Amino acid sequence: MNPWIIAIVTVIVAPFIGGILAGIDRRITARLQGRFGPPIIQPFYDLFKLLGKNRIAVNWLQFMWIYFYLVLMITALLFLVLRLDILLMMFILGFAGVSFALGGFCSKSPYSHLGANRELMQMLAYEPVLLLLALGVYAQNGSFMISQIYASSTPLIARLWPIFIALLVILTIKLRKSPFDIATSHHAHQELIKGVMTEYSGPYYALINLTEWYEIVLLLAIVSLFVANPLWVGIVIALAAYVLEMFVDNIAARMTVGWMVRFVWAVGITLCILNLIWFWVFAAIKGVS
Amino acid sequence: MGIIATSRLKSPWIMHFDNSSCNGCDIEVLACLTPLYDIERFGIVNMGNPKHTDVLVITGPVNRRTARVLKNLYDQIADPKMVIAVGTCAISGGVFHNCYNVLGGVDKVVPVDVYVPGCAARPEAIIDGVVMALQKLAKLQGVAL
Amino acid sequence: MLPYNWMMAVAILLPVVAAILVYIIRQYHVRGVIVILAAIALIVNSILFLLHGKGTFSPANAQMWDMVVTVLDYLILLFYIYVGISLKNWLVLIFALTQIIPLAWFEFGMGGSAALAKIDPTFVVDHLAIVMCLVISIVGSLICVYAIRYMYDHEHHLHLEKSRASRFLFWMVLFLGAMNGLVFANNLIYLYFFWEVTTLVCFMLIAHDLTKEAIGNAARALWMNSIGGTALIIAMILLLVKGAPLSVNGILSGGVTSAVLLVPVALMCFTGMIKAAQLPFQSWLLGAMVAPTPVSALLHSSTMVKAGVYLVLRLAPAYAGTKLGIMIALVGAFTFMAASGLAISQTTGKRVLAYSTIANLGLIIACAGIGTPLAIAAAIILIIFHAMSKGLMFLCAGAIEHIVWSREIEDMEGLAAKAPLVTVITAIGVLSMFLPPFGMLLGKWMALESASTIPLAAWLFVIASAATIVFWAKWLGRLLQVLPKLGSKIEKLSLSYTVPLWVLVLGIFGVGILVAPIYTGFVQNAVADVIASGQALAAQGWGLTVSGVSAVSSTANFVVGNYPVWPLFIAIAIALLIPLIFVGVKPGELRPVYLCGEQAGGPDADEWYSTADAKVKVQLGGYYFQGVLGEAALNPWTYTLSIVLMVIMFAVALLAMGGAL
Repeated sequence: MNPWIIAIVTVIVAPFIGGILAGIDRRITARLQGRFGPPIIQPFYDLFKLLGKNRIAVNWLQFMWIYFYLVLMITALLFLVLRLDILLMMFILGFAGVSFALGGFCSKSPYSHLGANRELMQMLAYEPVLLLLALGVYAQNGSFMISQIYASSTPLIARLWPIFIALLVILTIKLRKSPFDIATSHHAHQELIKGVMTEYSGPYYALINLTEWYEIVLLLAIVSLFVANPLWVGIVIALAAYVLEMFVDNIAARMTVGWMVRFVWAVGITLCILNLIWFWVFAAIKGVS
Repeated sequence: MGIIATSRLKSPWIMHFDNSSCNGCDIEVLACLTPLYDIERFGIVNMGNPKHTDVLVITGPVNRRTARVLKNLYDQIADPKMVIAVGTCAISGGVFHNCYNVLGGVDKVVPVDVYVPGCAARPEAIIDGVVMALQKLAKLQGVAL
Repeated sequence: MLPYNWMMAVAILLPVVAAILVYIIRQYHVRGVIVILAAIALIVNSILFLLHGKGTFSPANAQMWDMVVTVLDYLILLFYIYVGISLKNWLVLIFALTQIIPLAWFEFGMGGSAALAKIDPTFVVDHLAIVMCLVISIVGSLICVYAIRYMYDHEHHLHLEKSRASRFLFWMVLFLGAMNGLVFANNLIYLYFFWEVTTLVCFMLIAHDLTKEAIGNAARALWMNSIGGTALIIAMILLLVKGAPLSVNGILSGGVTSAVLLVPVALMCFTGMIKAAQLPFQSWLLGAMVAPTPVSALLHSSTMVKAGVYLVLRLAPAYAGTKLGIMIALVGAFTFMAASGLAISQTTGKRVLAYSTIANLGLIIACAGIGTPLAIAAAIILIIFHAMSKGLMFLCAGAIEHIVWSREIEDMEGLAAKAPLVTVITAIGVLSMFLPPFGMLLGKWMALESASTIPLAAWLFVIASAATIVFWAKWLGRLLQVLPKLGSKIEKLSLSYTVPLWVLVLGIFGVGILVAPIYTGFVQNAVADVIASGQALAAQGWGLTVSGVSAVSSTANFVVGNYPVWPLFIAIAIALLIPLIFVGVKPGELRPVYLCGEQAGGPDADEWYSTADAKVKVQLGGYYFQGVLGEAALNPWTYTLSIVLMVIMFAVALLAMGGAL
């Protein structure tokens, strides 16, 4: 199919999928807590209400960083659907995260300063795992291109299951679920108000929500890459991972920044490196014999 | 415009501010968020941040210090916004109305849209008050609730 | 087009003449004009080298020049001995003696002079040398232009009675000639001579302010780089003993098969690593940060330390595929990781930049160690972009220092309101250091794509990448923290500051956007001059593609990686233009930051009401994690591990040489 058409369809359809997933999140969370919960399309009501608010601001710069966040998140998602280089996609995702953190930094507000610093600590925790995931893809397929993942006959999860487990750990961080909802959280207003997003209001808060929906689609698509053929199995695994995250969110309490970095490095990086060592040993044995 | 007007009614985010109440009404407001009353099914979420809210829920009588804070918070909320005064103290000062430092009800400082009486106000009454605020907003916008 | 000997003279001797003129003429404006003219001459000359392509050169009166080089060598070393004695610094004295005695024995006792006289050609110019010459001439000259005004403000601020700026500019301009000579040198004694001149200039410039701290740090730089000089002399002695030619070409033409040359090669790489301030020799570069900012920009980020990585990169064919190559890659990768971690805890802007420089040089050395064509291409791309971005960052740090009169990051808070222009340029510099689509990220991407042959290096790269995000974003964030107020004025800056800053910004964008044609037209030749085989990248479609051979299907056009340059620049242009064009903030829309309603005043209130209605200033502090990532916490580990890695590096070379003999 024409890549331009794929790109345009993705940009238009992904927020709908992301919004529904966010709505399902709130519904299942409510049911786990013994409540009814809002309707599944509630996130869309929230979005349009926010778009209708009058604009208030603390400065101009915060708008610029939100546009960077949105455009780069869409770019990263397009990299994935157009099946380009996965390593570069991780770096673009990193730029999006940095833009968001800088948006939090750009006003002299105690709460968003706190949130922005914690956002950088979150990036310190999860960025190695994402890059090691890309290296793992190369180790298995001999190529960094996502198109090669779809063309290959062995699914990634067959030989990269430790990296898959590490990915599930950092999915908790990226989706801002307990125990890792440290930079900004639905439940933590007593501690950090809204963290990075404290000084955003109305339409720009709506744009942040919109970008988060793109991010949900992107992250679940990365999870689905682990079983790329047939695609429906990958999608089912991605949705199962998403429901798992909701359960973890409701079971766990928020932890501290230091614990998060130590835990993710100890568990996540160790799993990834053990996985890659196995490839290296395997290749060395094959080379010798 | 229709979709935004409808969305405003379906997603009122609240911020709850306590002037100097005895915390009785505050506990009742928080009770509304618990599974027994579950106001989140109406899209109501308790955001702690004035820049993210539509409805300011105020309890307790206003004194000289909290008057300053309340005005500050009210100014930081983006339009369109509604104010609900919960409890007798927020309406008129309640049992504290003739203390030396109490200025009276909340409407001495900010314009109030809905008054919810009670000491402490019951969760059913608070939910009723929120619905009344939404009806008022619907009428202002010319949309059916 | 000039005759070739004129081009060489302009590259090496013109800076000497210009430096002497600058020293003699003390008048501010005339001196500035001389520097600018010399800068233009050097830049034009380097472009002529680019157009000319490869070449070799031996000076006409070879014997006379050899004599000049020899005499100056000994004069420099005698000067070091004098410095050691007068400062009572025994390390300086010892490492000067360990150079002068073996050098004398080598040249006169072992017949080294005779062997050196037979080396022909004296200078070899290939595409890698041309890349270095362009970097030195363009970035270096811009920094000298910046220094004209910077030194004026610097001395004004220090209330100096007698200006010493002429002396400063003398050494800065002289340095450019020495660097050009170094990258062109084929004859090893000429290489050694230019190497020592750069060490001498480094010493003179770090000590410039003549405070006790500056002189102490200069002495430390001197003795550490003297260890490197000693290693270079020992390498030359070993080469003579083995009967190998005493020239760079001679070492490289032997290739990997001559394992006997691995120890001299290891020693020369060791020299390069010290000059590039790799762990455990990083303290001289950190100490050099006390010098005026143009020194840090020129010597310690964009130019002199590149001499170190240039030597390691130049020798890459000699150790490619050997265990020595793996160890060199690991030394570089470990430095990359450790320095990036240490940078997070630094509270002074220049020390963050210093650690970042050390880290990126480690990355370049690691790429040289990995040795595949893609890795060598990554190293060259990193050299080019790092010189521009880091040069820009140091010049910005100097400009910021002259606005807030402090080097501490905490004092730079809210610079976006005080000095918007410098903040914008600094933001471009910071973002260009570690984010796509800029060239530094391209180099890092290439390094990661090629690193799988040495997996441990790849894992260290990954951890270091995560750390670099933290310290850059943290610093940029502090600059941007402003109170809600509209209408900050764009500040006035002298042309001597703004011209170099904007030229570097244009360079970063221009070379970044056009990186694909620049690669195929020029950098590829440099890669081929280092490693004869294999194509690293091809320019395809929107950007650069890495091709390889698939293990499964062995199709010829198997795509391993792809970097679309244009779409990424278009994406960030869209992201920037939408708010610039469509978004404006009216004064009525400003609200105060959230302080729980306690702010004292309007939106730009800087104070809030605390207990008893006392007004307290809003204060924010950066996070530095000094307990975990500070030098006191990490240095025991980094010193131990890096020394172990260096020892293993030499052991591996010795074992290989022993096995071959």
